[in-house]
Amino acid sequence: MDGANHEFDAIVVGAGHNGLAAAAMLARSGRKVLVCERRDIVGGLAAREEFHPGFRVPGFHHDSTCVRPRVIEALRLESFGLKRTNPPSIFAPHLSGPGLLLHHDAGAAADEIAAHSDTDAQRYADYRAFIERIAPAVLRLLDEAPPDVLGLNIDFSRLLSTGWSLRKLGRRDMMELLRIAPMCVADWLDEWFACDLLKCTLAGSAIFGTFTGPWSPGNNALLLRHEVLSGGAVFGGPANLIDALRQSAEHFGATIRTGADVSRVRVTDGRVDGVTLSDGEEIDASCVAASCDPKRLFLGLLGRQAVTTKLRLHIESYRMSGTTAKVHLAIKGRLRFACRPDLNVEHARIADSLDDMERAFDAIKYERFSDRPVLDVYVPTVSDPNLAPDGHSVVSIMAHYAPYTLDGGWNDAQRSRLTENVLSILEQYAPGLRDCVVASETLVPPDIEKRYGVAEGQWHHGEHGLDQLIVRPAPECTEYATPIAGLFLCGSGAHPGGGLTCGPGALAADRIIRGA
Amino acid sequence: MSTSNRYDVIVIGGGHNGLICAAYLAKAGRKVLVLERRHVLGGAAVTEELYPGFKFSVCSYVVSLFRPHIIRDLELAKHGFDLIPLECSHLPLPDGDSLCRWADAHETRREIARFSARDAEIYPEFGLAMSKLSHFVKAMIDSPAPDPASLNPRELANLLRLGGQLKELGPDLMHLQMRLLTMSAVDFLDLWFESDILKAPMSVSGIIGTFLGVRSPGTAYVLLHHYMGEIDGAFRSWGFSRGGTGQVSMACARAAQSYGAEIRTECSVDRVLLKNASACGVVLENGDEIFAQTVVSGVDPQRTFFGFVGEENLDPEFAAQIRRYKLRGSSAKVNYAVDKLPMFGRTENDLHLRGDIAIAPSIAYLEKAYDQAKYGDFSDRPYLNIVIPSLVDPTVAPPGKHIVSCFVQYAPYKIKEGPEHWPKRSDALGDTVTDTIEEYCPGFRDSILFRQVLTPWDLEQEFGLTEGNIFHGELSQEQLLFQRPAAGWARYRTPISNLWMCGSGTHPGGGIMGAPGELAAKTMLGGGGV
Repeated sequence: MDGANHEFDAIVVGAGHNGLAAAAMLARSGRKVLVCERRDIVGGLAAREEFHPGFRVPGFHHDSTCVRPRVIEALRLESFGLKRTNPPSIFAPHLSGPGLLLHHDAGAAADEIAAHSDTDAQRYADYRAFIERIAPAVLRLLDEAPPDVLGLNIDFSRLLSTGWSLRKLGRRDMMELLRIAPMCVADWLDEWFACDLLKCTLAGSAIFGTFTGPWSPGNNALLLRHEVLSGGAVFGGPANLIDALRQSAEHFGATIRTGADVSRVRVTDGRVDGVTLSDGEEIDASCVAASCDPKRLFLGLLGRQAVTTKLRLHIESYRMSGTTAKVHLAIKGRLRFACRPDLNVEHARIADSLDDMERAFDAIKYERFSDRPVLDVYVPTVSDPNLAPDGHSVVSIMAHYAPYTLDGGWNDAQRSRLTENVLSILEQYAPGLRDCVVASETLVPPDIEKRYGVAEGQWHHGEHGLDQLIVRPAPECTEYATPIAGLFLCGSGAHPGGGLTCGPGALAADRIIRGA
Repeated sequence: MSTSNRYDVIVIGGGHNGLICAAYLAKAGRKVLVLERRHVLGGAAVTEELYPGFKFSVCSYVVSLFRPHIIRDLELAKHGFDLIPLECSHLPLPDGDSLCRWADAHETRREIARFSARDAEIYPEFGLAMSKLSHFVKAMIDSPAPDPASLNPRELANLLRLGGQLKELGPDLMHLQMRLLTMSAVDFLDLWFESDILKAPMSVSGIIGTFLGVRSPGTAYVLLHHYMGEIDGAFRSWGFSRGGTGQVSMACARAAQSYGAEIRTECSVDRVLLKNASACGVVLENGDEIFAQTVVSGVDPQRTFFGFVGEENLDPEFAAQIRRYKLRGSSAKVNYAVDKLPMFGRTENDLHLRGDIAIAPSIAYLEKAYDQAKYGDFSDRPYLNIVIPSLVDPTVAPPGKHIVSCFVQYAPYKIKEGPEHWPKRSDALGDTVTDTIEEYCPGFRDSILFRQVLTPWDLEQEFGLTEGNIFHGELSQEQLLFQRPAAGWARYRTPISNLWMCGSGTHPGGGIMGAPGELAAKTMLGGGGV
């Protein structure tokens, strides 16, 4: 074993946003860190990808509004080029009306809503005020290591302080929070609003990337989660977050290797001692932080004897089934919605009613994809025109829902059918779009699995079910540590879950720094 | 005002909870009057001879969670309470095969092994885990709901005690308990079993009476109730009441009367009489006024507050809480009198018909049935839970003839056309149920002597169940425990002083449990309510 092998204190598996955040945090604390990335580019689900010559999307993700402020500050991301901007307003186009532009600014949003319903406009102000009030208690849960709900290692002072932060809301808001969290998003939004476009736009945050429809209980917690996490967006999209994270990590001394495909996490006597790459290279370290998903780690990278039967069963039953297809369009000109042709839309959500969203969801229960999918449309070229040649745009679309396992199997004919479903909806709202399409790319869950290495194409690294939040991914993995000494989880498969928060990466780094 | 027209307590509604509440109060020496709108007692737990010689358990048809201590406290056995345990749970399949789970564990495993050897191995383990968990849940059911927002030391101590009980389960079972509260029935069963043919009939206990599908999160919890079905303290699952479900109510009524309670039928309450925003009696539909120190309502929360109290007498915020309380009936009942026993796939004997029979051939079947209801139709192939009580209880039908009693889901109260159009769809629903059974029992249609269809609209109009909800409100997480029926009002009290609640719309909810009635009475007696 040569000397070079001993130069790292920690190896981070995967250079997605969480892997880079964990690496940067660890490097900042003085550890020698190596990040191993399987692909030739860093960024994982937030990587900038060219899908057609000259056309790039800034990440699989659309939403860059949830990056934790603490991470931006600690890693000095703004000095490494990260620019925060107001989150794009979300436009909900309509076939027979002006649609609804849900401004990030609550006042402007209320004015738009008033065109549909005065009552809803007033209610929206109340809704935002309610979110503001509960935010501190919910954020407290999301911005800290998960509470030890199973009482394995109970810390009463923390439990009491968590309980107290909830009680501080006052009896009324506390009871309301306990009531609404396990509800379905449709019921809760129905209590607030009458306008379908408004309800659909808000409901999107609760259901995208999950195996739930608007009427599935429990997903209202995901709406609350997103509402309190969401703040300023990253200018230019998720890929710019990656650029800043990478520079920060390197600034603090981390080494990032691309094309370094970890095929094995080595364990000796219940302790991690390094990783093996797919080309046979071995790298030693007594600490490994895995930002890949839990199935890939426990069922793929670790040898069978390293994982106890019970843990294996827990991970096998960890629900992780992709539900989203991604369509990238390269178009001439720009996306122009007929109902508001002058609006240069950066972010749109297309669904006419909660019932339609539910119908779209019904399909995946029977291993089919939606005939009329719910679309989350992001036009990154609005803020960063460099992503496409002059006079062209990139349209990135998440189409909900598409199952990982399709009845009859996925093939090119099915991919084309899905693309066609998406295009025919867009064509209705933005007539003429079809003729402007220069090229397209469609990724269905198995494609997402293959490209990004996330099991079953589940881009949150595991279903956001109430049973898989907090205790995530398994009771054996308490607070980012695993039963294998020196092995930690630092990806979206750990608390507080998926999305571009960098929370799991940063909290895992805290845990490693504190306990190592 | 004559003294004979003055009571300590008036109970509105002679359902089983109202009667149990009355019995406890009377036993404690209170002068109690029970007022029932219909000509028979029992509410939804009622037996009626709809066709000569056939005694139908019209609505509620099996008894599962009846609290054993109530049987003892009120000496119900002496008053005719007698349960016959269900012997099996039978699942006929479209291809003629079937799965029958028996009270005998060995037999059941042999049956399951025909579909999956692995599932047969695990089945007893599953039952064991569930019965361990049910001990914790029983502690919740047998006491008033905890109040998580209270800073009162007694409440905190109570919460800590419950936390301690949870912790006693150990981390594995605690984890399972938490998953049980939030997962869907199918996802939860997926943790254990592989065979759809086993999972489908097991998962349905998660959806009975709710507007949810077997894949909807939160439905796993209700599975546990299946393992809590105890009769007189012993785990013997579910049972028939001898003489029909109405006999449970009759036993409760006789007990109440034996302690001195007065019961009047065909006595319909129009509203609760208020004086200085405080209940002081009731006004009947015929205009008579009856006075009492305290009024207890056994009817559902919306009917209680909007029907009997009036929105104008409620604090607007409380009114909003009750208005958003979800009832959403999702089920119907179809009762048949037949002259030939439907065999459901097995002809060698009738043992497999002595429990319940489920038409739930696959998870996709159940989920499709739900999807139709979501958009305002009844399922064209519904989930059916069928019992033939006449087979084990010859007192309910003439010799050689039978009662086939079918619980039907989904039949949403709010059909597309609007609930008031249900009477026009009633026959179509009945035909759908007949056709569904005919697929499993050719010749069934020709054996029908009489058919009764109770749509959710009928359940509302005839039995006073708002929106036809058999549990007086969805058993969804936001409507359980300290939130049933509204946050801050889960201890049987209401914002109207001297008005209390004791029905299934209060903790711990619906089913023939008796717990809401008992706990309400005890809370009233303990808290100075009467």
